[in-house]
Amino acid sequence: MARVTLRNISKSYGQLEVIRDLSLDIEDGSFTVFVGPSGCGKSTLLRMIAGLEPITGGDLMIGGTRANDLDPVARGIAMVFQNYALYPHMTVEKNIAFSLKMAGYGRAEIARRVAEAAEVLQIGHLLGRRPANLSGGQRQRVAIGRAIVRDPAVFLFDEPLSNLDAELRVSMRSEIAQLHQRLTNTMIYVTHDQTEAMTMADRIVVLREGRIEQTGTPQELYEDPANAFVAGFIGSPRMNFLPARASGSALELPGGARLGCAGDGLPRELSLGIRPEAARPGREGGGLRLEMEVALVEYLGGTRYLHGHLADGTAMLIEARSAAGIRPGDRLPFTCPLEALRAFAPDGARLRSLSLLPAEPETA
Amino acid sequence: MPVTPPKWIIALVGAIGLLWIVPLIGVALTSLQTPEAIARGWWNLGNADFTLDAWTRVWTEYPIAASLWSSVKLTAIATVLTMLTAPAAAYAFHYLRFPLRRGTLILVINAFVLPQQVVIIPLFQLWRDMGLIGNVAAVIVPYVGLSYAWAVFLVKSFLEDFPKELIEAARIDGCGPVGTFFRIVLPNLVSPISACAILQFLWCWNSLLLPMLFLREDVPLTVMLARIAGQYDPNVNMQSAAAIVTAFVPLCVFILFQKQFAAGNQVSGGGKE
Repeated sequence: MARVTLRNISKSYGQLEVIRDLSLDIEDGSFTVFVGPSGCGKSTLLRMIAGLEPITGGDLMIGGTRANDLDPVARGIAMVFQNYALYPHMTVEKNIAFSLKMAGYGRAEIARRVAEAAEVLQIGHLLGRRPANLSGGQRQRVAIGRAIVRDPAVFLFDEPLSNLDAELRVSMRSEIAQLHQRLTNTMIYVTHDQTEAMTMADRIVVLREGRIEQTGTPQELYEDPANAFVAGFIGSPRMNFLPARASGSALELPGGARLGCAGDGLPRELSLGIRPEAARPGREGGGLRLEMEVALVEYLGGTRYLHGHLADGTAMLIEARSAAGIRPGDRLPFTCPLEALRAFAPDGARLRSLSLLPAEPETA
Repeated sequence: MPVTPPKWIIALVGAIGLLWIVPLIGVALTSLQTPEAIARGWWNLGNADFTLDAWTRVWTEYPIAASLWSSVKLTAIATVLTMLTAPAAAYAFHYLRFPLRRGTLILVINAFVLPQQVVIIPLFQLWRDMGLIGNVAAVIVPYVGLSYAWAVFLVKSFLEDFPKELIEAARIDGCGPVGTFFRIVLPNLVSPISACAILQFLWCWNSLLLPMLFLREDVPLTVMLARIAGQYDPNVNMQSAAAIVTAFVPLCVFILFQKQFAAGNQVSGGGKE
């Protein structure tokens, strides 16, 4: 177990700087997920922690020691790869035992530890097989077994579930989370899938273009996003962004809707974020009142996603739990409570100074 | 889906195959006839008398057995050396970073365009000055050295598709570069190494120029074959018998290993393909 600290880490490939001046503290025993769109540098960051990519600048501390120039083994890390990277010519048992053999453990100790790992992952019956004769989920377990057998200080996962089918992904997700609760080692997990991040993480680090956009618990990120990028990236379906125009103490929204607002230094143009599940079909309830034209209804059993657009053409997606009978082409009024709205400046920054008020009665 | 080819294709391919086989039949029949019968043409089977005379004479009058052993020895050493060193070189060029890596690689691969004949005279002078003429090393060194151009290239192009994660996983597991080569890369390179081995075996076995110039005694079969042709008597029947002995071994090797030769073996780290 160990605390991982990144201090002003940077990474360049020649002239190209992919990670710039990144600092991060990863608590001992935490489950931290790096999430971001492809090309955001999350895998590169993980590989730098693993020791597979040289660090261009800054300090990497693992368990209080500077680890920039240490070998992967000396860092005390183990890694699970996206393609599992099982040695095809070895049996499952030898795959799991390989790192122990390299570390010079005795035969009996190796056998004991392999059996223990196999027990945890319930792969005891597969030990004699070759990777080619395993299913995707079994390969994944073996890959995890290979990591846990060493009892490393830090586990690194590089998109380990992206090669599995949807059903297996969900079950492996909870297994990895349970494994973390059981082992209590520090785990760092990279994914581009925000659902994985939300469901597994103690702490999420949202990355974009080599920089940290926001760090926090899943709930913090969901409820209190620092900017429009995090707001749009976290949460599924995506948050809707509505253009709004501030004039005096009023906000004008598409379709003639208005809200009162107060705050200093507000930009003229801004955008309001509405989560699909915050919108309520119908006219009841206060707050923001809007109307959308429904273009598509996605029926998901317990809930429905209504796709459509507002009067000015802004795309809108709302979730409706009890709105049976809505068809494409219908005009659907909906409301949204003011406390569920998030306001962003044109550059994406969160407008925390803005407070929204109910629309003034239209007397003027 | 298997498709039955039209009959005329089978006939055409059969005819071409027959055409290829005729010289082989000729060599076999020649080795079994007397010089007089051969002078009439080996295909005149009407009044030919068959004899094993050429086979016994070539075995007793010429050191065929010693030459066979010499061929086996030279070829085996050169083949094993290529099998071990070419993959090591390909691995180093592909995965390790060292100064002049690219330049050296280009130099090695470019030996492709260098005809064997070009190196023979400078090599002869070198061996003579070093007193290596007649030593097996005089042949084995160029055998192995000249094989690198294609062998390194062949293994390296296979490594292009080798999953990089396996190498990285080995690094994470605490395996050094040399250990990674022997424990992870080599066991998964069976098919390109077999291909190298077969090509190198055939090339060394059939090589004539190098052993003829650099060896005095202990000559391999190919050189012995050339010596059987006497100055006045072509000894065609004995040459044929020796040629069959010479061709037999590579033929067996090829038949036995043709599967590895043709197989394209994809190494996979276990991910979905």
